[in-house]
Amino acid sequence: MLVRNVMFALASLGLTLAATTAHAESVADHQAHIEVSLGARVSAVSDAGYDPFANSDELAQVSLGLGGTLFAADRFSLAAYGFWDYGSRSGNARGAQTSLTVQRLSIGPEARYHLLPRLYVFAHVLPAFAHSEALLDDGVAAATREARHWAYGFDGAAGAAFEMYGRQDGRVRPRLWLIAEGGYGYLGSTRLLLRGGAGSGAPERTAPVDLGSLSLAGPYARLSVALAL
Amino acid sequence: MRTWVWLAGAALTLGCGGRPSAWDEPFVPASNSAGLAPAYGLTGSVAVVDTALQRVTLLSSPAPLLLEAQFLPLGKDLATAQTSADRQTLFVLSRGVQPQRKPDDEPPQLELIDGSVTPKLKRSYTLTQPMDQLALDPKNEWAVLYGGSGVVVNPNELELVDLTVRGADAVTSKTLRSFGGKPNRFTFTAPLAVPGGDPKRFLIVERDSDLVLIDLANPGANEVTVPLPATDSGGTATSAQVTYDADSATIAVRVTGTTSVFLLQLAAPAQAGQDFSVVTNLVDVGGLPAAIAFVHNTQGLRLVALVGSSAVLVDPVTAITQSASMPAAFTGIRLITDELNPDATAPNGDVALLYGPNITQIAYFNLGGAPGALFRSIEPYDIGVSVKDVIDVPGQDFFDRKILETPSNDFYVLDLTNRQSAPMKTQSGLTLEIAPDGDRVWAFQAGTFGFATVDFDTLHPISLQAERAVTDVFDIAAASGGRTAVALHLGVGQPPGIGATALNALAPSTATARFYSGFELGGIR
Repeated sequence: MLVRNVMFALASLGLTLAATTAHAESVADHQAHIEVSLGARVSAVSDAGYDPFANSDELAQVSLGLGGTLFAADRFSLAAYGFWDYGSRSGNARGAQTSLTVQRLSIGPEARYHLLPRLYVFAHVLPAFAHSEALLDDGVAAATREARHWAYGFDGAAGAAFEMYGRQDGRVRPRLWLIAEGGYGYLGSTRLLLRGGAGSGAPERTAPVDLGSLSLAGPYARLSVALAL
Repeated sequence: MRTWVWLAGAALTLGCGGRPSAWDEPFVPASNSAGLAPAYGLTGSVAVVDTALQRVTLLSSPAPLLLEAQFLPLGKDLATAQTSADRQTLFVLSRGVQPQRKPDDEPPQLELIDGSVTPKLKRSYTLTQPMDQLALDPKNEWAVLYGGSGVVVNPNELELVDLTVRGADAVTSKTLRSFGGKPNRFTFTAPLAVPGGDPKRFLIVERDSDLVLIDLANPGANEVTVPLPATDSGGTATSAQVTYDADSATIAVRVTGTTSVFLLQLAAPAQAGQDFSVVTNLVDVGGLPAAIAFVHNTQGLRLVALVGSSAVLVDPVTAITQSASMPAAFTGIRLITDELNPDATAPNGDVALLYGPNITQIAYFNLGGAPGALFRSIEPYDIGVSVKDVIDVPGQDFFDRKILETPSNDFYVLDLTNRQSAPMKTQSGLTLEIAPDGDRVWAFQAGTFGFATVDFDTLHPISLQAERAVTDVFDIAAASGGRTAVALHLGVGQPPGIGATALNALAPSTATARFYSGFELGGIR
């Protein structure tokens, strides 16, 4: 719903602007660029393994992107894009403080189609790697337990980008793009065995706390501002 | 600004899910004052009551030193719980949803949890009324629920649950006729050889001023109420102790405030419509008895009453008494005939152990001697400390051992066969926990780090020091063989959780022990 709303708004705005500017612009002038983006990604993690760390399903992350157009033909172009998403949640599990920090790296191809010189829609499927660090303040062990895991999956999303700032002829850079996307991020589940490591203050031969498994898979939305060079 | 509006919208759209409310309920150990113990030791598992989540966490041991947890939901509004005498079953009584507003509101129930190495819910019984208290038959055939908690409560209302039957037919509601008293104690008898019929088991209900006999073969039939005799000063007496002899179907009652013991002989029906009749008798034993017990001597069945420094033997048939002087005023008596020779049936007479909390002696009362030599039949042993209680040792390996619990910090391991007592000195007060296999005893003081075990074979104490304060120690069977000692750390730390140190019970050492915690976080979905 969100993605549809964003795309509709961007399309409406683009069409309005296009009515006055399209005649003077070339799509090619707006295709070839390298861009750096900064935005926010919000995922909905419904997996039960996420519950000890948050009292709701959302996981908000700062999203840093880097991409570049590799190939362009008429209104179609192909870019390579990568994201580094970073975020954490903290909460409590039956009174014990917990936190979960997630870093996610995704990189892959992105197909774009310019509806207008300043507006394109895109879709991408990006292989993803996520590293999570879960912490639990264990009152009985008097130690902070931790679990670190890698998980693998992909991000599949579609979205639209609108050029908010830039010369009409497209030849003067930098340009500023507003990018919105929505999709599904899949990550395999990992076992949540929280260990009290050496030096944590836990008793000798402390067995891990088994909180089952954790999968950070779920739908997500990302809103970014990109600086195109 | 617009960006953040969109972002907030996205968060609201995507992040609408919550989590089970159980994650917001801190673990709090059950309170003894609320009728529940924090934990119960069973044969193959340890049950930790989690009242906040209305569930029980069952710790079992797949192999020595290893623990794993299972979680069983319990009924709503827990009232009380008890282990069976053989520790194979945990009985949990819950009140359910009160008051019930909807037809599907949970009713009161009694749940039976199998405490073996693979714990599971055995079965449950639905009750008609919420009850607060539970009394269990040592033979695991009956449970009695009493002490209702409704707006109007009839304390003489009982729910009898036949544990050999499943379903609604197992529960019999019974309201005892009352003359103002309420149930205080329950005794489930062995089958009593009542003349004129098959042996039958009885439930003896001790009330404020009378006894009630319920025939467990026909619990729906009218009960028999027997008023207690008055005190010697004419006041209202209450029962202090009930004991019985199965072969003669005789029940003896020690009554407060009187020098007489009250004998009830169950006899053949005296009139039509009766299953049995009761013949009562009062026998003066010459003083206020501190304890009574049925024994057999060379002349037959006798009731022993400990009166001051005398042991008075009462013939329940003729009411003739015979007195033997004791070396001290013992106030406790425990039959040990079977423990001395479990395969024999006391060819000459029983042997009893005499003890008392104010006497630094114990004595063996041998009733196999000649009637005229009664004065020689009590052999005292000075052990230097008084005895508060005598604890039986289960199993077959050390059937001839008793644990003598003292009012001080010490305890004794008594070898009945060799008549030797081994003192065990401790630094502080302690709780004793005998392993269900009967091979060792564990001693600990709740809230301290130290605990110890004594092997009955070697009598060698092993002192252990946990890394966290110990609140309970239990000795459970491991699924793969061997045994695991579980030292619980409940309510320790902030926030409190369910922690445990697991040791190899057969070779306990903190050098190999494993520490567990966080069990309270498992099983929440």
